[in-house]
Amino acid sequence: MTLILSRSLSETIRRHAEAAYPEEAAGLLLGTVEGQDRRRIDQVIPLSNTWESDGRRRRYRLEPRDLMAAEDRAEEDGRMILGVFHSHPDHPAQPSAFDLEQALPFYTYLITRVVAGAAGESRAWRLADDRSRFDEEALDLPADR
Amino acid sequence: MATIRLPTPLRPYADGLKEVDSGADSVLEALRELTQRYPALAPHLLKSDGRLRPYVNVFVNDQDIRGLNGEATELQPQDRVMIVPSIAGGSGAALRPVDHAALRANQAAIIGSLAGSYIAGAPWVVTLVALLMLLGAARARPGFGWLYLALRRGNLLRPDVVLDNPEPHRFAQLLGGFFLGMASVAFLLGLTAIGWGLAGLVALLAGINLFAGICLGCAIYYWLARLHLPGFSKSPPPGVLPGRRPAA
Repeated sequence: MTLILSRSLSETIRRHAEAAYPEEAAGLLLGTVEGQDRRRIDQVIPLSNTWESDGRRRRYRLEPRDLMAAEDRAEEDGRMILGVFHSHPDHPAQPSAFDLEQALPFYTYLITRVVAGAAGESRAWRLADDRSRFDEEALDLPADR
Repeated sequence: MATIRLPTPLRPYADGLKEVDSGADSVLEALRELTQRYPALAPHLLKSDGRLRPYVNVFVNDQDIRGLNGEATELQPQDRVMIVPSIAGGSGAALRPVDHAALRANQAAIIGSLAGSYIAGAPWVVTLVALLMLLGAARARPGFGWLYLALRRGNLLRPDVVLDNPEPHRFAQLLGGFFLGMASVAFLLGLTAIGWGLAGLVALLAGINLFAGICLGCAIYYWLARLHLPGFSKSPPPGVLPGRRPAA
């Protein structure tokens, strides 16, 4: 399992995460599946965190209509929603128990740590089939062509 | 026939299909029919009692069924039903209410007791404070919590509850109790200067915490957590420097 994410798209995610700090930021990862379970992301859609305002520092939720619209558009462009990115302000880039509880199969969950307002490490995860844990996905960050 | 559209993550459970036709008359009936045809979909859509899972949104012709007739929403042959998963998560390390007035009363009592013991030349008070702090750390409450409760009952102090991690404060108290324990050992060995030095250090750190709102013991806790030391798992509340007091 490898997630390929160009530097410039990664930068978009990091900026979204920094702008939302100390709240969590989230959005969608779109792209195509290549052979040997390699996923190439070629579009990221930063979205609003619609969790109630008093919990946004530790929680995120995406608006179902945003997801619906993104899925429609992706299909027209020959892409797929391959995953979700979100930030963990002042917390490691590892899925929490709450992330596990809420996770969907198939999607890649890209988590970016933000420390004191500056984006740090990002790591990619996928839910195991039995929902018991997340497996880490290799993250490939090629320079833009 | 109404059309049911599946979101990408659920398609592998329905032979990779994007859309499935349904002759059902209502949303719930359509979902039950769907999960009978593709049983692997069931745990993702329905609860064990056969009702719709709370994290699953259903739209009929772009209208959320919560704004229609819920699961009982009727379906017409030309309707388009969209299943849209809720996407949520988050670091989730929930903060808990911590009464900082109790912590400050504890610090003031520690400083007062240690200063008193020095002035009176009574090292046994240092040992007493050490025991209170260690006992407090073991019970996850301030060693002088009983004094705070008495002052609160007399309306002399008011609670100051902020969302915080209690663990670092407990660790800070354990650390203070440990240093005062070392001071007590120093007194027993006749190393009076070392004993008072250690007691003075604890009083100084309690003072910095009380007057400047900086808990060095808490900061040490967070630094150890950063090094992934077992038992040290909490991060500072978002936007708060390690050891600093979170805003109310």
